[in-house]
Amino acid sequence: MKKRFKKLTALLLTGTLALTLAACGGSGGTETSADTSGSASENSGDSFTIGFSNCSQDTPFFANMTPIIEDYAKEKGIKVVSLNADNDTSKQNKDIQDLLAQGIDVLIINPVNEDGATAGIQACNKADVPVITVDKNVTSGQTAWVGRDNVEMGRLVGEKLIELLGGEDATGTVLEIQGTAGSTTMMNRRDGFNEAMKKAPGLKVVQSAYCDYDRSKAIPATQDLLQANKDVVAIFGHNDDMALGAAQVCKEQKFDDILVCGVDGLMEAVLKIETGEYHITSSNDPVLLGQTAVDAAIKYMDGETLDEFIDAGTVVIDETNVAEYADKELDFATMVK
Amino acid sequence: MMKNISFKVLLQKYSLIMLLIIFIVISAVLSPNFLTLNNFLNLLQQASIPGVVAIAMTLVVLLGGIDLSVGSVLAFSGMITSMVVLNVSGPGGIILGFIVGLIVSSLMGLITGLLISRFRLPDFIASLAMMEIARGAALLTTSGNPVFGLSMEFNKIGGGFIFDKLANTAVMWIILTIIFALILKYTVSGRSLFAIGGNYEAAMLSGIKTKRNYTLAYVLSGLLAGFAGILTASWMSTGQPTAGNGYELDAIAASVIGGASLSGGKGSVIGTFGGVFLLQIITNIFNLVGLPSYYQRIAKGVIIILALLLNSFVASEKTKKK
Repeated sequence: MKKRFKKLTALLLTGTLALTLAACGGSGGTETSADTSGSASENSGDSFTIGFSNCSQDTPFFANMTPIIEDYAKEKGIKVVSLNADNDTSKQNKDIQDLLAQGIDVLIINPVNEDGATAGIQACNKADVPVITVDKNVTSGQTAWVGRDNVEMGRLVGEKLIELLGGEDATGTVLEIQGTAGSTTMMNRRDGFNEAMKKAPGLKVVQSAYCDYDRSKAIPATQDLLQANKDVVAIFGHNDDMALGAAQVCKEQKFDDILVCGVDGLMEAVLKIETGEYHITSSNDPVLLGQTAVDAAIKYMDGETLDEFIDAGTVVIDETNVAEYADKELDFATMVK
Repeated sequence: MMKNISFKVLLQKYSLIMLLIIFIVISAVLSPNFLTLNNFLNLLQQASIPGVVAIAMTLVVLLGGIDLSVGSVLAFSGMITSMVVLNVSGPGGIILGFIVGLIVSSLMGLITGLLISRFRLPDFIASLAMMEIARGAALLTTSGNPVFGLSMEFNKIGGGFIFDKLANTAVMWIILTIIFALILKYTVSGRSLFAIGGNYEAAMLSGIKTKRNYTLAYVLSGLLAGFAGILTASWMSTGQPTAGNGYELDAIAASVIGGASLSGGKGSVIGTFGGVFLLQIITNIFNLVGLPSYYQRIAKGVIIILALLLNSFVASEKTKKK
């Protein structure tokens, strides 16, 4: 009797859990699903199959990439099989093996890190499957890299900031809220920004502790740096999410004159440029990035040779052009119209 | 001899306070910006949300348990509440958001608690499983995207200030600490947590409803983590599916620095309050002085060790006396 009761409780628990999960799934926005079997019938004569190995889906940027590539390829009549490595290099290698086993013609990969996917990429090279890296690059074995110049993005924001601060004679302290320690993106954005800052010797850059691109870590860092530094005129975050945290602190502590800028073109930031709470961002449009990668795959299959680096481009957004990019329905500002 | 004992007692009772004073003095020497009202208010705000999570952790640590799911439950309840607030306008939406968020997070705590107390799963494993489930669910809600565009009214709850200075979240942290200190001291269920953590069999034999109270502690842990999640979403005016990552470890560290024993039966929420505050001072002073964060992490580790050594030194001296 008691045993049966326990079983019943167990069943009830599982049920509740399933319901909870179903409920949150239902209320969600864009569901992504790796289309592994369905669209095989759509294959026309010159169509081919792309395998997409994504590094993770737990940031908006990466989460958006999968549906962008799937949808755009579908438009072009190409089949996509996509897998997600959950930030785990060994899973990514296994994913690539699985994709090869399914007979893909091109691999598009956003690697977990530069070296982690080497085994999988070598397997592709052996099987004569071209490898196109997207967003992040790998050290060897790739046919082409579709990405962005993060040094340039940092520099563009820096230059625009100097302009808004009144030119190269500007003076004051600029806080730099740093991303994740050791990340290439972080170092590139930092170097580009600081290179631009050299043109205005009156501006002193003070770097924060590493805040892991995380807003809840950027807020205390900004509060502390505002305590320790007087005459702060601007704050630059290595991404918009952290800079938004800095903007919030400025608002709370009534530092209305501090210019806040970041990188990524996160829509929340773009909308705040409209209201004047945020000032500059450099777009990192995942739509254009994903589409450029698919286009590169198509070109390659048509027999064209690809450049080693294909720049997906960026645009600096500030008060003057924000109207072109503000769109509440999107997560990121897009250059694709 | 008499004097010696009273010194030991003093050391045992106030070791954390002494550590705090030492750090405050060092910090004040290192930076002129440290001992200012503004910085103190910042510190209170920065420590408040991790502080609420640490109360949750202390409750289960008292049992000899551990709740690894607090950070993920925080994220999930923050996401759910944000979705409700975004889709149901007006104050009704905010109230509904709070209710739904708190119910869901309590349920998650209930499931973890039942798995441990009724189905005999180890605390570590049950809460590890819930940590994965809640994080996955938080990411699933919006496919990993943050929820933004929440109303100003909602933002004012966790992001507002009393007298334009003292953060609402800091006040809530202090009030919750007092409430739970009273519960642990004066209610039967509260006191039973110490008994269960001290000796489960003895507690059961002496008629304490061990299973029920064990589960209850996990429900409260879920509830508090969920509340912290709602405060986070409200404070940042965004529901972030990655929020609260790693909070469980800071909460465990704070409980232990505050005098709790991971084998159960020992600890207090007031001590935990001090532990959270100490950890926050370390981050704060490193930021003020402008040292790279690598040092911060090393210092944090060293301080956890120091606090524990001090505690165990005092404890072993005490047993020697017996």
